[in-house]
Amino acid sequence: MTDSAPIQPSFEGLDHYGRAVTEATYRSKHLLVLFGFTHCKAVCPRALARLTRVLDSLGPIADQLQALYVTVDPERDTPRVMRAYLAERAPRVIGLTGTRTQIDDAKHAFRIFARRVPSATDEDYDVPHTAITYLIDPRGRYRTHFSDAVSEEELLEGLRAALTEGVSDQPSTRI
Amino acid sequence: MLTAEQIGHLRHFDNLSRQLPNDWSLMQGKGIGQDDFGGYRFQLAYMAYALALTHVHRLPAAPGAFKATFERLIEKMLSPEVWMYWRDTSRGGAVFNAHLVDQLKEEWDPVVRDNIMYSAYVQSMALLYHYLFDDDRYTLPGALTFAHWSFFWGGAERRFEYDENSLNEHIYWQMVENGYVGVACEPNCIFQICNQPAILGFRLHDLIHGGTRASEVTRAYEQAWQQFGRLDANGHYNMMLLQDGRAVLPNAQRMPWVDAWCGALMNMWNRDFVRTHYPKQINELLQHGEAGALSVHVNERPETPGPRVVADSCDFGWVATWASEMGDADTLRGLLTHADRYMTPRWRDGGLYYPRNDAELNGAGQRTMMEPLTGNVLLGYARLNVPDGLWRLYNEPWSRARFREPALVEIDDDVDVYQATYDANERRLRFSIRRRTDRNADGRVVVRNLGTAPRWSMNGADAVVADDLGVTSIGGGARISRDGADFVLHAPEGAELRTFVVEP
Repeated sequence: MTDSAPIQPSFEGLDHYGRAVTEATYRSKHLLVLFGFTHCKAVCPRALARLTRVLDSLGPIADQLQALYVTVDPERDTPRVMRAYLAERAPRVIGLTGTRTQIDDAKHAFRIFARRVPSATDEDYDVPHTAITYLIDPRGRYRTHFSDAVSEEELLEGLRAALTEGVSDQPSTRI
Repeated sequence: MLTAEQIGHLRHFDNLSRQLPNDWSLMQGKGIGQDDFGGYRFQLAYMAYALALTHVHRLPAAPGAFKATFERLIEKMLSPEVWMYWRDTSRGGAVFNAHLVDQLKEEWDPVVRDNIMYSAYVQSMALLYHYLFDDDRYTLPGALTFAHWSFFWGGAERRFEYDENSLNEHIYWQMVENGYVGVACEPNCIFQICNQPAILGFRLHDLIHGGTRASEVTRAYEQAWQQFGRLDANGHYNMMLLQDGRAVLPNAQRMPWVDAWCGALMNMWNRDFVRTHYPKQINELLQHGEAGALSVHVNERPETPGPRVVADSCDFGWVATWASEMGDADTLRGLLTHADRYMTPRWRDGGLYYPRNDAELNGAGQRTMMEPLTGNVLLGYARLNVPDGLWRLYNEPWSRARFREPALVEIDDDVDVYQATYDANERRLRFSIRRRTDRNADGRVVVRNLGTAPRWSMNGADAVVADDLGVTSIGGGARISRDGADFVLHAPEGAELRTFVVEP
């Protein structure tokens, strides 16, 4: 009763420059896709900082990668907000946002959990979310994913292995 | 060597597994509709777990004493009577998901969404079977099929086909989808405990098929729960997480089952944590009785809107199970003393169990309540388990080489096995059996991987080589014959315990 591929990676929305994009926009590269929101207090800052360090450590082969940070909070995360947020924290990462429907479709496609938690004010709400990083190959297929619990070294080695082994027909072993 | 009581529990499991389809005699709990611990699924699953623990730790060279029972338990687990509650429960409307009722729909597939307290048992039972018996029957497409059709109801058959791999994959991705915090039981209710069987399943899948999902999931699960805390302010296990509000419900009433059930299973991958907190937790749950007896405090269920909830708590049984896993022999002995003294143990068709009793206390104030899960299964589980039994099952995997070692692979229904081990260093299989007089069978024991000319002896008598295709007497009325590459022991009549030593 389950699809053979665990996720069908697709999205449609705006990048943090306000340009319309889909998953096909980046088809020439491997994609690293993580979901979050700019008001996230702990998980996203940690994940983006780790990702930035890993991309730096990968050296030239990091050019084969494009990291995408998809918001789960499109109401607050406009392209401008995301651009400013990422410029400060993770300049190699492109932010993606969109309409609520587009974001919900992307969450569904990547099997991401994210749900707004009610708060005292309309502005200061939290959106707990899945904190995993997907690796998508240049043909748009799921390759593997990394949970938030993997160490920086494991993420680095996992990406290095995936990038140097090239594109095969089968997903690689998940970490 | 197993005790008579341990043999009795195994025989009772076997008796229940042999009941005719839809005969759930002795297994019905107080509540209706397969809710809570009154559900057959819990009894079927924990019988399977107890069989696994007994096989691994006590009778490793006797897969034949467990395999057929295991299969029958899985078959019953797949029967609609066990899982059809989900059609109703999936719709929501209970206290913790009433606000979601407009978002939920009737779901017939019992494993596709939530319901981890069923899906993970099917997953882990099928994978345990494969792991223990090297039998891949549940990898076949549709080997785990949930199907129901009613002539009187009409409509198309409801049919949902899985196998051990697709079900494992599906549960894993539900875990991922929920940020590794776990999969819900009833909609919106993620219990810590109910995700432990799934973790066991992931570990078994890794051992059988390769991969590292168990370590991935436990690490991420640990991290996901850091924000909520495993324990509540009183030092007891938080009961559950409300999925939408990300709010944790503590064990405010200090209900023993919350700690004990969770602790018993979580020990398999989180032993240091469980053991660190066990002494204080168990001390607050136990009630000291007379002459070494121990019982468990009776706590009221938390108040909830609506009529009083009628359900089985199984506190006593879960605490016994936990004590067995912790190797807390004094506590386990005290609980079993209480059970044997006040909870009317009964023998039926060679099986030992504690019959259901709905009276909370007897006239003298001793706890007497007995639920089918506790009486049929959990006290037997506790007697059969060994210290760190689940931890060892999880962390000390069997080598595949064991499937090439001598073992009792088929055992007639009139034979009880009291010990069965193979010493690879001495190249010696030792087993003890007793024939039953209340069963109609031939006392046959099929032994595999003995080579071509094994030396047999019974009760310390001189060894006899059985090396031809005829029938060899090894004395005392015991005979050996060949069946292909296997040897068949024809055990003598009579109920004496007989010990055999075979050297391949």
